[in-house]
Amino acid sequence: MAYVRVDRAVKFFPREDGSEMLVLDGVSFDAKEHGITCLLGPSGCGKSTLLNAIAGLEKLDQGEIEFRVPGSTLHPTSHIPDLPARSPKLGYVFQDPRLLNWKRVEDNLVFAFKGMKIPRESWQGLLEKYLSLVGLLSFRKQYPLYLSGGMRQRVGLARGLAIEPEILLMDEPFSKLDQLTARQLRQDTVDICARLGQTTMLVTHDVEEAAYMGDRIVIFSSRPAHIVEVVDNPLEATKRDLDDLAFIRFKKRLLQTVLKLVDQEGV
Amino acid sequence: MSSLDSITPAEPARQDQAIAVPTGAGSGSLSTEVSFRRARSAAKRQTLRDMGLRVASVITLVSIWWLLSLFFPPSLVPKPWDTFAEVGVIVTSGNFFTEMGATLRRVLVGFGLAMIVSIPLGIFMGTLRSLESFFEPPVILGLTVPGLIWAVLAIMFFGLNETSAYAAVAVTIAPMLAISIWQGTKSIDKDLIDMSKVFHAGAWSKVVDVILPQLISHILAAIRYGLGLAWKVVVVVEMFGFSNGVGYQVVRGFNVFSMKAVLAWTITFLVVMIVIEFGLIGWLERSVTRWRPRVEAWRR
Repeated sequence: MAYVRVDRAVKFFPREDGSEMLVLDGVSFDAKEHGITCLLGPSGCGKSTLLNAIAGLEKLDQGEIEFRVPGSTLHPTSHIPDLPARSPKLGYVFQDPRLLNWKRVEDNLVFAFKGMKIPRESWQGLLEKYLSLVGLLSFRKQYPLYLSGGMRQRVGLARGLAIEPEILLMDEPFSKLDQLTARQLRQDTVDICARLGQTTMLVTHDVEEAAYMGDRIVIFSSRPAHIVEVVDNPLEATKRDLDDLAFIRFKKRLLQTVLKLVDQEGV
Repeated sequence: MSSLDSITPAEPARQDQAIAVPTGAGSGSLSTEVSFRRARSAAKRQTLRDMGLRVASVITLVSIWWLLSLFFPPSLVPKPWDTFAEVGVIVTSGNFFTEMGATLRRVLVGFGLAMIVSIPLGIFMGTLRSLESFFEPPVILGLTVPGLIWAVLAIMFFGLNETSAYAAVAVTIAPMLAISIWQGTKSIDKDLIDMSKVFHAGAWSKVVDVILPQLISHILAAIRYGLGLAWKVVVVVEMFGFSNGVGYQVVRGFNVFSMKAVLAWTITFLVVMIVIEFGLIGWLERSVTRWRPRVEAWRR
């Protein structure tokens, strides 16, 4: 019930010589409600810029980002009071963990609770729920720099989830992790998102990641970015298997679209 | 779930920390505890060695002093133990505590005033470009004015009283503190500010939870420099005609040309400085940087 619609988004970036560079060239699409929408495209094409615009960190030069948030709360278990329709509750998971290294794991989550004005009574329950969801409940009193990179990224994920956002934004959250950790975290994230059912948008340049995680995949061209194709994943979130033939076929199909794009660039 | 993390340490630089130990989701805290204990005993050995080196350093200095005293008359270079005996007299006569107390109070009040002004000033200069342009000239100018001149100005303006001592100390060290915090603020992590915006952190929380912790090492360095500078200024102020304080006692020694008294007062002063530096500031540093693993692999 919480949807995001990006409507003809245009964004310029100033160059050093004073001229302007077109980054987003009229980008429009709808995010999949309650599912994961992957923004797939080559590095530096403007996907992250769009995500930052959705998060309110950047302003679009033209176009709009529309949110529709219901009057009632999204999750039946939510502890969060209703917000006005124009400002949905956003969670953000960054490419690097971006933790406050001087605060213990649990206090990093509390920092977000305070900012989002979540009532103090519910902090304990949320902490326990989301830290155990990412498998870090026993590390709640630890300082981030004593954890491994994968565990720190999990803390970042828990922080994004624990405020029980209506919309969760993720900016290449696994790209800096090693292959095995990334794979495990992708699987965990798909499971968690399927269970919680918030609307999620995930930026990636990894075709396999998009095929595995995305319920909807929005393919961006390279800069200036426009939408090449919007594809809905034919496979259900719980039935995607990296070795399954149907999955490999879908991945190939995405890869072909992306490769065609690269070819056109070459010409 | 987290078992995968343990076999793939993402940051090799920290492998010797807790993460290299196999950590099942449940058993994690136990194995972490073991490796912490090992790290702690290694740290203890390290501390003992450092202590030994510091003691050796002091002994070397006193030996050099003693060697010098063999070649010069005692009126120029008194014997170390004669001077230490004088220190004993100063401390046991009760003189020491009133004089040192007066000096310490002047240093701490002036230092506190400077901190109250320069921490917010430095943070504002680091975050707001317009304030940076406005305050840069006075801060740089203030830094170049010698402490002696501030002392003269303060005494001429306020007269020979406590206020002039406080003012001279505060004005001398405030520019230095402000510069340190200003530069520190400019180097803080913008990504964390973005993070705090995304989670709607309030202004107070941004300062206390995000900005100040990143400035801690700059503030600690500023405290060290600031205290060092404050001592120097306060002694000068006291020499000008105050009737108590360590500076006054040194001048008295000078007037009767007693090298022993001058040196003895200087030594008491140094001891207090060392207690503050290693005890108080060291403790402060340890307690505010507990979150940082002490891996100094690059040092020998």
